[in-house]
Amino acid sequence: MVLLAKKKKAQIDPDILALTKIVGSKSILHHKEDLLSYDCDGFTIHKAMPKAVIFPKNTDEVAAAVKYCANHAIPFLARGAGTGLSGGAIPLNNEVIISLVKMKNLLSVDYENRKAVVQPGFVNLKLTNSISHKGYYYAPDPSSQYVCTIGGNVAENAGGAHCLKYGVTTNHILGLEVVLPDGEVIEISPNGILDTPGYDILGILTGSEGTLGIVTKITVRILKNPEAKKTVLAYFDRVEDGSHAVSDIISAGIIPAALEMMDQTAIEGVEAGAFPVGHPPDIEALLLIEVDGIAEGIAEQIEQILSVCENHHVRDVKVARDEKERDRWWANRKTGFGAMGAISPDYLVQDGVIPRSKLPEVLKEIRNISKEYSLRIANIFHAGDGNLHPLILFDSRIEGETEKALLAGTACLKACADAGGSITGEHGVGIEKKEEMRFIFSDEELEAQTAIRDVFNPHNLLNQGKLFPTPSRCMDIKKVVNETSLTKST
Amino acid sequence: MDEILLEGSLTELADRFGNITSNILYPESEKEVAMMVKEANKVGKKLAIVSGGTKLGYGGIKPEYDFTLSLKKLTGIVEHTPGDMTVTVKPGTTMQTLQQYLKQYNQMVPLDPAYASASTIGGVVSANESGPKRLKYGAARDHVIGMRIVYPDGKIIRTGGKVVKNVAGYDMNKLFIGAMGTLGVITEITLKLRPLPKYSSIVTLSVQEDALHDLKAFIIQLQDSTIEPVSLELVNPMLSKNLFHKEEYHLIIALEDVKKAVLFQEAWIDENKPTKAMMNVLKHSEDFWTTFNELTPNSQNDFHDTTSGVMKVGTTNMGVFPLLQECDRLNLESNVQILAHAGAGHGLSTIIFSGLPENVVQSIRHIQTFSEESGGYGIVKHLPFELRKHLNTWGQQKDSFYLMKGIKQKIDPKNTLNEKRFIGGI
Repeated sequence: MVLLAKKKKAQIDPDILALTKIVGSKSILHHKEDLLSYDCDGFTIHKAMPKAVIFPKNTDEVAAAVKYCANHAIPFLARGAGTGLSGGAIPLNNEVIISLVKMKNLLSVDYENRKAVVQPGFVNLKLTNSISHKGYYYAPDPSSQYVCTIGGNVAENAGGAHCLKYGVTTNHILGLEVVLPDGEVIEISPNGILDTPGYDILGILTGSEGTLGIVTKITVRILKNPEAKKTVLAYFDRVEDGSHAVSDIISAGIIPAALEMMDQTAIEGVEAGAFPVGHPPDIEALLLIEVDGIAEGIAEQIEQILSVCENHHVRDVKVARDEKERDRWWANRKTGFGAMGAISPDYLVQDGVIPRSKLPEVLKEIRNISKEYSLRIANIFHAGDGNLHPLILFDSRIEGETEKALLAGTACLKACADAGGSITGEHGVGIEKKEEMRFIFSDEELEAQTAIRDVFNPHNLLNQGKLFPTPSRCMDIKKVVNETSLTKST
Repeated sequence: MDEILLEGSLTELADRFGNITSNILYPESEKEVAMMVKEANKVGKKLAIVSGGTKLGYGGIKPEYDFTLSLKKLTGIVEHTPGDMTVTVKPGTTMQTLQQYLKQYNQMVPLDPAYASASTIGGVVSANESGPKRLKYGAARDHVIGMRIVYPDGKIIRTGGKVVKNVAGYDMNKLFIGAMGTLGVITEITLKLRPLPKYSSIVTLSVQEDALHDLKAFIIQLQDSTIEPVSLELVNPMLSKNLFHKEEYHLIIALEDVKKAVLFQEAWIDENKPTKAMMNVLKHSEDFWTTFNELTPNSQNDFHDTTSGVMKVGTTNMGVFPLLQECDRLNLESNVQILAHAGAGHGLSTIIFSGLPENVVQSIRHIQTFSEESGGYGIVKHLPFELRKHLNTWGQQKDSFYLMKGIKQKIDPKNTLNEKRFIGGI
């Protein structure tokens, strides 16, 4: 017995011991059964096991852990709430996962200077909830905002439905404290002062998908709630009419706070989901339009929007009567992805962007893709900024259908790229769209980006294998897919 | 014509401000830019990049370059899709030309840098220039969605794209915005546009120094209200004398919205303004901004005998109050005249000094120290070359400086482009 115990002790990984010393035994997981739920994030198609998960409580612990990993050539990555949809937090290389969920405090709010300082594990919606009593809010609102963390938002440069008017995460980040991949801690604009002299390190870190550094403190801009808000719901018999209405609203000089669209398949899904609002099943498109600002000016904008809709043969258009109705419409929209589960065993969400004016033709192309692959594709998207979310419905129990779904997803991204757009508007590249980066960037342009990674992360130990395609070989996506075990995506 | 003007005074410009040489190249296409840059890089020649030539007094401690690469001939709109509200433009296009073109479509680039008639979009982006309206509209980093860049080795690299929302790969646009031309030559810029406001006005509130505190309290109250100011620009008494013929502090509140909303906000301000404040509504807001934007000296218009210097100071939003008061203390105590305007909603101030060279340098140094001690920064945006040598024009380096050096080293290892123009001699 004694001998056995001794032997067992000798087998404990020295790295685990060292990391335990840094964060404490209550803040580390390293047994296989504990690690299972960290084998993927919101992108569940690809899975891999981490070496360990640690939960540092402060910047010093993060820095010490990073330093240890760097000195011992152990791959590592940072993780927030794990809601990312492109696989950015999946430990492809048996990483030590540095989970930031214990660093979840709101450190300060400065209303006079309109900023707040948070730790990376602070949940997005909690910030708005913490300052709403003074009439303030934090603008970026990804659909997962009730659970996703601001640290994760910075890594992904997260967007949301209201980014059309107010911008995405990068437009709201004023300062960062960052642990670099060698364990050094730097502060960029700690006081949240604009235009710190020098290259825009803040800008390059935001949206770098956790490959350049680990953010440990974030200064964000906070905004005052608009005086008034009005929400319009419009039903169109033809999807083209809906698309043209989108363009005309923008051309009329109105910048809605949000301008969302759903097609017929998506409507079928949300109406079968948890928050149905009674959308007619036989319309091809609906628009959810929100304008906000000074109350005196809103009525005029609403009138203009209604008349644009009329001009495009709207079947029915209505303005939300009260906050309750508005909330119902938004709950229906924001839970849209999940609602697809009600009409399909599995679905895959894509995230292409196109110039707004190409909306009708790209939607047509997506319909062709749907036919070609014999898979239904629902479209729920931020029409105002051309950010499409084709949801490819499939059944993983049918052999070969998952592969087909992935190919259809790639085809949708190709259609977006061919229309002059991008392969991702807010979900990030992660591992999901690595190869599709080639749809929009040349080898030289990809090298220009990896050159920047080399400055921050020269040994590439931090979040290796993400964001960029495998060099010098145009990997066959089909092959990767076939090799991967596939499970239900959420 | 501009080109001839610039050539005529080239030696004078080079002597006075630096950052330009009389060996000037005028590429007419991106391809020519790439060829010239590649060749210079290969043979180890140093290039100074110039567009409108208004920022020759901005940074830079290198007495001579081998060649100047001018972007004067790279002008014009490449693509404008009104429905997408995006425009692609060549770097040498002046802000004024660009805005006038977009005006036909009721659109604008929401940037209001100084000296729009001569400043080019390439220069504005490279120096990350903004104006009072940054409060509502943001800066170049918020509007540039894509660029084409000639790298020092002649490669042409596209950053971003042509869509308004894009997170594919690193946000490479950010690297080149505000990089003072030290990383690449911008040959094309794609920007997000905004509709021209349907109605706009300017409300000014003026107070004497003893009521400055009330004005500050009012700004806080206004920010806590639902009023949506486009600018909250505080102007010191000396500059107010030029602009408003009254030597008091002025707060310039720009309002842009539909007419009803603007009028409502004017009424709100009237109702809530400090009791000691005088309110005035300016009818022709566009004319006012034109005058305002042309008042800052730059290397195209500064040939006076007195020395002028311009600083950009960054503080917290409310930090502009002590800053402006410090400027006014200097106005009284030193022999330098100081004109200043400061964004109480974004914390960026422009401070204009004029007087004898040594006094200007001394005052700049004083304000720089003052800004740094209060947690901000102060950089010199415009000053003759000889005087720049006596100052650290970019201020103190931060702990992230080694990353900046690493970036420069990676992209431009031979220091071909704008050598020593930027912070820490990058």
